[in-house]
Amino acid sequence: MSLSFHLKKHFRDFSIDIAFSIEENMAVVFGPSGAGKSLLLNLISGIIKPDEGFVRIEGREIFNSATGINIPIRERKIGYLFQDYALFPHMTVFENIAYGISHEPKNKSKTKVEELLDLMRLGGLEHRFPKELSGGQKQRAALARTLAAEPSILLLDEPFSALDYQVREKLRADLLLIHQKYPITTLFVTHDLEESFVMGENIAIINNGRLEQFGAREDVFYKPKTKNVARFLGARNIFSGIIVSLYEKAVAIENPDIGEIKALLHHEEQRMTVGEKVTFGIRPEEIMIIRPDKPIDKKVQDNLLEGEVLTTLGKGASHTIYFKVRDRDATIKIEIPNFAYRKLKLSKGKTITVSLKKESIWIIPERQAKG
Amino acid sequence: MIDLFPLYLTLKVSFVATFFSIIIGLCLAWLMARKEFFGKGILDALVMQPIVIPPTVLGYYLLVLLGRSSPFGRILEDTLGITLVFTWKAAVVAAFVASLPLFVRPARAAIEGVDKNLENAARLLGKTEWAVLKTITIPLAWRGIAAGSIIAFARATGEFGATLMVAGNIPGMTQTIPIAIYDAVQMGNTSLANILVGIITLFSFSVIYFVNRFTKGRY
Repeated sequence: MSLSFHLKKHFRDFSIDIAFSIEENMAVVFGPSGAGKSLLLNLISGIIKPDEGFVRIEGREIFNSATGINIPIRERKIGYLFQDYALFPHMTVFENIAYGISHEPKNKSKTKVEELLDLMRLGGLEHRFPKELSGGQKQRAALARTLAAEPSILLLDEPFSALDYQVREKLRADLLLIHQKYPITTLFVTHDLEESFVMGENIAIINNGRLEQFGAREDVFYKPKTKNVARFLGARNIFSGIIVSLYEKAVAIENPDIGEIKALLHHEEQRMTVGEKVTFGIRPEEIMIIRPDKPIDKKVQDNLLEGEVLTTLGKGASHTIYFKVRDRDATIKIEIPNFAYRKLKLSKGKTITVSLKKESIWIIPERQAKG
Repeated sequence: MIDLFPLYLTLKVSFVATFFSIIIGLCLAWLMARKEFFGKGILDALVMQPIVIPPTVLGYYLLVLLGRSSPFGRILEDTLGITLVFTWKAAVVAAFVASLPLFVRPARAAIEGVDKNLENAARLLGKTEWAVLKTITIPLAWRGIAAGSIIAFARATGEFGATLMVAGNIPGMTQTIPIAIYDAVQMGNTSLANILVGIITLFSFSVIYFVNRFTKGRY
């Protein structure tokens, strides 16, 4: 099932105007809190009526302000998983899951509920009330209730935000498995960066009620189109510079704090001119530290910078290094896996050479990089 | 042997009045808890009036409204053949108007206390508004609704001023317990007054006791 929409709604101090469409897969809606993520789901589902726009599921219009179509919520066949799960507190797990299929024959709905109990690892808990469940169990019960009604699309509103880290990781894996079994077109809302990378083949980045970028996961992560996207995605190394020369599919950028940097052009539509102001950057994990005992690989021979290690920070599986370019002012954040950190014997004050891989550098022309 | 008619009449009037309070009160409580409409504040103030207005004033309004000289009273009598004033039905109307706000208040608060997302979840699962009300809103608000019903019933049994104005004090016809007590004291029949006062006291105490037990939350 495909889902496409363009929705507008004005409030006194906030407005939302977002359009995109997804095909049969899981797409993530990522944005900071207050960006309008939950509101977007409310508008799609009809819980809140949009001022203007349309919603189409598999070509069928369920809302269109121009033609006056506004199908009641109950007929939209939208599965919605609320952030707090919204399990009915006065019903057992079984009754909750069976709630949306009470019109079906009893033995049929019973089989269905039992199947879902099994799939969600809720066997033996069917007679419990929601308050007698753990957070993870509640979440799975709510998902089972939603799936029982066989929705044509699924909206998940930060489904893991109320759970602790370990449970979360397990449930993400569960959800991906369930999604394989029930390949329902899904919109997954989150403000967790890691989660959005794990869950979504496509990612929509929204901010302040507007869509900043929508595309395949890798494109969005490694080739942000706006400064905001780069910022939300945790890219700390954001600089501004001036284009000094043009090559075929590449440019050279001059920044007084770093020097001259070469970068490949990713977006077809990008047309740069010499002298143009740009914002550019690179993800911390895309920076290579050159090993002094080995010849430099051809791939990383551009953009070599020499300088010293300012500080190092251990972060679980990786280390963060703050690097200062020699004789210049730029501080660059680098993230490397622990084994590489040990091998390089890095420490504060050590002189190293790094390479900003030219294919990993993203460029945003200043004229569209507002905010 | 004391005359049990006032007790019987009081129960009859109170049950019928409470029945209407619940039916009409639920509609009002739901409307005010869940809908925004023009004149909501005025409707709210109007329904709540009997709490603050003196019962005799309320009775006077009812007498004017339902009496033979008012257009409404005439329609009732001429076309429907219903005479209200100075019958037990007038006592029901008085008890209903007086007890309605006491039902609406807790019922509205209870409905407002039901998480809207639970109702939305039910709608998203394909339920009609009526089904949502029946299976989600009312079951989750039932403590407040039950408490409101009991308090409304108690208020109906104790109704005096408006009832006296609109239904009068006709022994064997419109004489409820509160009016019978007044009557007994006026006639110097202390033993009858004591018995009736005892019944009302015991009843009132039980009401508050059970309401308190009811309203302790479970979810």
